[in-house]
Amino acid sequence: MIAQLTLLDRLRVPTYDDGSQMRYGALVIDRSRCRECGICVRICPGACLVTDTATKMSLLNGTTHKGKSGVPRLDLMKSGEAGCIACFDCGTACPHGAISLAGHFNPGYRFKRIAQEDVLAYPQRY
Amino acid sequence: MNLHANESSPTGTYAEGMPWNPVERVILERRSIRSFRPEPLPDGMIRRILEAGRFAPSAGNMQPWRFVVIKSPEIIAAMERDAVRIARLFMFFLDYARGGRVRRAITMPLAKLFIRLLPNELHAPPFMLLSQIAQGRAPVFHNAPVIVLILEDRRGVSCPAVDIGVCGQNMVLAAHSMGAGSCWIGLIKLLRYYPKWRRRLGARYPYHMNESIAFGWPRPTADGLVPREVQIVEWREGGPDDPPRYERQGG
Repeated sequence: MIAQLTLLDRLRVPTYDDGSQMRYGALVIDRSRCRECGICVRICPGACLVTDTATKMSLLNGTTHKGKSGVPRLDLMKSGEAGCIACFDCGTACPHGAISLAGHFNPGYRFKRIAQEDVLAYPQRY
Repeated sequence: MNLHANESSPTGTYAEGMPWNPVERVILERRSIRSFRPEPLPDGMIRRILEAGRFAPSAGNMQPWRFVVIKSPEIIAAMERDAVRIARLFMFFLDYARGGRVRRAITMPLAKLFIRLLPNELHAPPFMLLSQIAQGRAPVFHNAPVIVLILEDRRGVSCPAVDIGVCGQNMVLAAHSMGAGSCWIGLIKLLRYYPKWRRRLGARYPYHMNESIAFGWPRPTADGLVPREVQIVEWREGGPDDPPRYERQGG
């Protein structure tokens, strides 16, 4: 029931920008619900969300013009990976419910999660 | 969407499926807050948060912590500058995700060697955050108005780092219960590489600078429920030789 870490897993360090060795969080942004307020871009821990006109630093420093800051998207590395750790701070803070999480974060090889399933669940009242 | 539990159960009771009680609500709805209003929390409130830390459990009642409250914007700005500087230095040698092929061929083996040597510090999330910080895309201390440093007394009983975590979580929960926001900042470790910061912040033997927490008024309010991975829990209820029962916790 609980996944095993093989010897090969233990020896191998995953390449962080390779999607076959790292599973990054998959955010889905509903463009029709987004009001372009920029809250998610401002609070993303890893500055993984950007818009066409704003970044986390530009919003924190106030160098972006007031008003609509554009629909956010995941800022991709050169390899095309997103770097999202699926913390879902963005989705919690979004006042319009425009963000949902379609996949969780799980590094590969020596860092892979052992006692968790891929399914995401909200707190359950037992 | 700020998902919040609506009703509350009284504390000190349990009935199956009952709504969350106020303590559980603070625990479950707490999110790490990384965007603050510029004005600091009132001193009284900081003292009240520190009280929650002072009364945390610790192994052998050794209380292996020492608190440093940093409210000075100049000091926090200087810490930020120096932390970014050291992140840049590290990432100049280790960040293989940017630059060309030659750079990648040189930095990747070096990075993987360092990841083996410092697997916790250079795990994927901190590695990528360091890369973002080095590129000027993310701050270290989130422009927080108050940073509380929890220095670990290495002479504590058993595992003093655990006591630091328990103490800090007490403070974080107390802060959120009063409407403040907080974020653990382990990257304070970057300042360990500067003798001047070790001296200024008192991080010398027996004290170890591992963790700090940023406090402030959240802007925007971002507390709320989130989904997390279903956890496989092993239950052992029969005799010592009986196989365990595995249960999916949370879903």
